[in-house]
Amino acid sequence: MTLMLATTSAGFRPAGRFDAADALRPYRGGWDRRRAAHLLRRAGFGGTPAEIAAFTSLGMNAAVDRLIHFPDTSALPAAPELVDDRPRRAILAMMARLPQPAASPDPAQRAAAIKALGKAHFQNAVALMQWWLGRMIATSAPLQEKMVLFWHGHFTSAYQGKGITAADMLGQNQLFRRSALGNIRELTLAVSHDPAMLKYLDNRTNRKQHPNENYARELMELFTLGLDNYTESDVRQSARAFTGYTLDRDDRFVFNRRVHDDGIKTFLGRTGNFTGDDIVAIIFQQPAASRFFARKILEFYLYDDPEPQLVEDFAALLRSHDFELAPVMSALLRSNIFYSDRAYRALVKSPVEFIAGTYRLLSLPPDDVPLPVLGAMTRMGQRLFFPPNVKGWDGGAAWINSGTLLARENFAAGVCSNAQMMESVAWLPKEMLDPDAVTAAIVDAVLQGDISPAARARLQAYLDGGDVRGAVYLAMATPAYQLA
Amino acid sequence: MKLPRHRFLIGSIAGLIVAQRSGDLFSRALAQAPLPGAPATADERVLVLVNLQGGNDGLNTVVPYAMPQYYRYRPTIGVPQNDVLRLNDEVGFNPALKSLKAMFDKRQVAVIQGVGYPKPDHSHFRSQEIWQTADPDSYSSTGWLGRYLDAANVPSGELFEAVALSPVLPEVFGSRKIDVPAIDGNLRGYGLASDRRKGGAQEFRAMVDDERMPFSSPYLAKITEIEANAQKGAEELPKLIAGYKPQAQYPATNLGRSLALAAQMIGSKLGTRVIYVTHGSFDTHTYQKATQDRLLAQFSDAVSAFYADLAAHGNERRVLTMTFSEFGRRVAENASRGTDHGEAAPVFLIGGAVRGGVYERHPSLDDLDNGDITYTTDFRSVYATVVERWLGRPSSGIIAGNWTSIPAI
Repeated sequence: MTLMLATTSAGFRPAGRFDAADALRPYRGGWDRRRAAHLLRRAGFGGTPAEIAAFTSLGMNAAVDRLIHFPDTSALPAAPELVDDRPRRAILAMMARLPQPAASPDPAQRAAAIKALGKAHFQNAVALMQWWLGRMIATSAPLQEKMVLFWHGHFTSAYQGKGITAADMLGQNQLFRRSALGNIRELTLAVSHDPAMLKYLDNRTNRKQHPNENYARELMELFTLGLDNYTESDVRQSARAFTGYTLDRDDRFVFNRRVHDDGIKTFLGRTGNFTGDDIVAIIFQQPAASRFFARKILEFYLYDDPEPQLVEDFAALLRSHDFELAPVMSALLRSNIFYSDRAYRALVKSPVEFIAGTYRLLSLPPDDVPLPVLGAMTRMGQRLFFPPNVKGWDGGAAWINSGTLLARENFAAGVCSNAQMMESVAWLPKEMLDPDAVTAAIVDAVLQGDISPAARARLQAYLDGGDVRGAVYLAMATPAYQLA
Repeated sequence: MKLPRHRFLIGSIAGLIVAQRSGDLFSRALAQAPLPGAPATADERVLVLVNLQGGNDGLNTVVPYAMPQYYRYRPTIGVPQNDVLRLNDEVGFNPALKSLKAMFDKRQVAVIQGVGYPKPDHSHFRSQEIWQTADPDSYSSTGWLGRYLDAANVPSGELFEAVALSPVLPEVFGSRKIDVPAIDGNLRGYGLASDRRKGGAQEFRAMVDDERMPFSSPYLAKITEIEANAQKGAEELPKLIAGYKPQAQYPATNLGRSLALAAQMIGSKLGTRVIYVTHGSFDTHTYQKATQDRLLAQFSDAVSAFYADLAAHGNERRVLTMTFSEFGRRVAENASRGTDHGEAAPVFLIGGAVRGGVYERHPSLDDLDNGDITYTTDFRSVYATVVERWLGRPSSGIIAGNWTSIPAI
């Protein structure tokens, strides 16, 4: 569509003056509902008016403490119910035209087995998405789930092909939850042993005789260092170090020394008989690693295209805490830059944040999120457990196009068409008071006041017709609701 | 004007011997003139770009069956000589491309061999970025088709001059002026449900039209503009294409559905010039054969149905389809009966206005560069060919550098 875009550069760094010296110092300014709501959006999936009120009265430090020190969430479902989706050897053999196993089933049986596998895969994909979305909606530790979402988009694996089972994906998701605010280097090591990852990036078939570079390359390019911080030779050498990092017959990590290349490797200027674990240790000795994670965290939690000096300072903070994330995130969530006008509404909500946040706001049931909602999430451009590629979701401007914005509005229209909403949503006035009071309640709960005067007037005029749910939908269609 | 009927020897090395400068002048002269048998104006021509995502293995797509080294490097996944659908004495299609072979036999498919770029990058993302921006040397924020659209000065009010049939807008449409709608493969979900409610659309516009907010955000202007335009486009598109009846049976695949919608948009004369679709994933590190054969057959069958539909509506000469993939794959198969990230691969140009045949030289398998073939055709010469000979614009400013265009269109 022809229009003049206001922004012509690729980055979406907020306008305004950046004060590097002040950015990461503790915030000592005023504390109010808008800032409490901002914290809840960034470090979670947004708050209801009651949650925002609670965080407002806690004050910033106690509010951040509550987010950083995860409360006990053992009452939430620990795992979804999954069905067996392990491809049978006969199917794998047929797909690759390998010699058939002795007791080879006939073609009809094989076709039936493939069909059953497809059914199991779909069933498990739905169960995984419902379970995790349900946790995001119901949890009392929203930052934990937000960090799991961050790691899922960072150390990507997908429930698609390569023999990856739902149990593998669940195991990886639980690893991210255990390590949510833990040590990044230790998480990277655990990811290098993780079954879903070993399958997704093919390291399970990385052997001395035939090195497979896929994991070794992406480990540096997308997970820890970024392009231009290593050479092609480093990729080939580290692939040798990761030979033999594979899985046993029960899909558990095993270091198979028989196929490991135990020769001398030269990697990032160091020489030795390295294993994959050594490679991870050497990577984290590179200053580029701290910068890479600093930028990624700032782009997820603060704003797009952070200033190089801010990245440098945040990277130094990461190094000073030896890559322990809890104190670093704690500092970020208490910093001047985090509560600055420049950071406010400076991120685009991801589809998952949009859906989980709307569910929380409208007190919709977290169990068994229905299939049409999962379909809406897909049309908005995001499918949990199916990142589009190993780079994860681009986020930011990539969430915004004609198709994805229409999908958001249609999802909002769908949930607001439910008549029960009037009973279940605590913050909606129970009787039609004057339209001004109802407008105020909706604008506060959905937008924390972030609406233009003209649109607010139109919303109030619309409420003269008595359609409260329609007015909630219209508030969700405004630009502010697309932003975190 | 009588056009030079210069036809290179199909599939022969002679096709390569073109002086850079004369070739460039030749292609520029051609770009100014109407093509024989093609529609009179470039405005009526459409480019459909098919992204074979994941890195399609070129050597098992267009198989160099006459090269014994091919079978030595690929003892288990090599396509047997007898199965190859021969195009000439050197190469032939993977048997999964049966319906595409029928189009080749009707001279509607040009195979450009060995397409790549210097200092190849083995990363999916960087290499996709390079193919989409046509900029291997730096990080461009615009795509080559975005720059074409900017140069073409699309009249304002045009809603669908370029369309991405994909969930996320591809970098190839990165533009300074144009916001290209991304429609996810079909029209479900493209439109505002609340428009069916009385007054909804009007109120919706009022909600999103106003930028005077009590906060600033770097995304605010973009969201406001695209929300309003998305609604307008979604209102109009179904009405605009409602009169078109498909005349072919499309396969029930994502690509089949995308190309069916593409044919409908082209046939409905919306002023659409460029359509982008995706197919994949071709990232066949393990057990390549099953995955690649299935994807190639899906591609071949969908394209065949697409041209049957276009032909039934008299549009087959208006539409050029071009494939690309971020890279080909390593020559030697790996231990998992797959192939790792490689370099050059063939590009297909398909359509009624194409001069069918095999173009440029197949890369040598004797002299590998670290296990990879070396490209023989720079991808920018293919893009320049399409921009000049099909889209009817000089390629300068769109594709950096001077490129010999290929007489395949």
